[in-house]
Amino acid sequence: MGKPETANGLSLSVSDVTGQKIFVVANAPADGTVGELVADLLTKMSLPESDSGGRPLNYHARLEREGRHLHASERIGDVLEMNDHLTLQPNIDAGLC
Amino acid sequence: MTTSDYRFAVVLFHENGDRVGSAALNVDWEPAIQCTSFYFLRRGELPLNDGCGPASILPLWDRDVGQPYCRGFRVSLACNGQSPCTSDYPTSYFRSLAAKAAALFVENGKLENDEVFRYLVIALSEDDSTSASPASGLQVQEQIKPLQLRQSSLADWKRRSKPVGLVDDDDIPVFVSQQLFDQVASQTLTERGRETGGILIGNLHHDGGLPEIFVEVTAQIPAEHTRGDAVKLTFTPDSWVAADVAIKLRKRNEIYVGYWHSHPVFEWCKSRECSLEKQANCRLKADFFSSDDQSVMRAIFPRGHSIALVANDTAFQDLTFSWFGWREGSIQPRGYYLMGDDHAT
Repeated sequence: MGKPETANGLSLSVSDVTGQKIFVVANAPADGTVGELVADLLTKMSLPESDSGGRPLNYHARLEREGRHLHASERIGDVLEMNDHLTLQPNIDAGLC
Repeated sequence: MTTSDYRFAVVLFHENGDRVGSAALNVDWEPAIQCTSFYFLRRGELPLNDGCGPASILPLWDRDVGQPYCRGFRVSLACNGQSPCTSDYPTSYFRSLAAKAAALFVENGKLENDEVFRYLVIALSEDDSTSASPASGLQVQEQIKPLQLRQSSLADWKRRSKPVGLVDDDDIPVFVSQQLFDQVASQTLTERGRETGGILIGNLHHDGGLPEIFVEVTAQIPAEHTRGDAVKLTFTPDSWVAADVAIKLRKRNEIYVGYWHSHPVFEWCKSRECSLEKQANCRLKADFFSSDDQSVMRAIFPRGHSIALVANDTAFQDLTFSWFGWREGSIQPRGYYLMGDDHAT
């Protein structure tokens, strides 16, 4: 059973890999999934959704409080608490292409 | 936040001037915004601890034929109570998008493969009634994080260093020790035949007298939890976690300044059965930064001070190194300053 939802959703802070870009997020819907939250954040944080070849980039959200990457299907209201901090970290290729 | 009252598109032409077609562009303005912002930060025209306000994108109309044809675009950054900071960019900014549009025309037979084409950029006034995206309940606001700067004299640093490669005054000065190259070389040769890499960390320095900002690369952290083969190096989420842990363990208040990786060029050439002579003239032998390499920069290191290093491992000469950095919204080869042995920070 999940935590009680608030009418206004959760407030969070989210940073990029380097920690040089930090965003304050309000109203994260408790009934949404982590995957939906990450997808929504990418545009708002000006992070690329795909690589140069048009292949989608797979970002993982790391929950600093628990020191783990959240699964995209996890429900926000179940895993996040007010004022949690997330770091978005992609799988990404360097190479010949 | 970025706003524009225009949507941009390219019109493609055959070399003889016949029209191929047009395609709407989904333009990534972030590199231009980051470069503009950092340019004015370096020159002291944006407050170091406050950054800038929202960015807007304005088309620059072609001087001969006018609207809707563009000669480029302008990034305008709002500044508290002052005139906006602006930088102009040429239409070459759209080159890769034009190439992608051309690829689609090749697919549908309107353009031959490898055919030379020309492109014009146009900007059309946005119709608010059709462009508005559905409102999301999520509210996201950037929290301005001041640059973490150490006060230093650039002249002092230059006196104890020597410039290597093409050091352009427009590029942020970058200072690197021989020790870093030795570590990169050692790791590259240990992993010979497959790509390897690491994270570059260091400090940003500020010379208030000039004013100017410059980068000191203090160390490289070998990237862990990566997957490497002869043509690819995958940084995984765990690679970034390991780098974070390493930075914290060092307790030197360093920041991410970029990344490095190796190019086992001799392996690429071997698989293509290229002669040594051909390899010596190949564009992959040095100063080659692939589209994938650029994607890493864009996704992880988009800031104007971010840099990248490639270790070129060829069959016909010792390991060489190529540096890259942001210039006018794109990633270009660049020079650096090699610190002397007596260089204590």
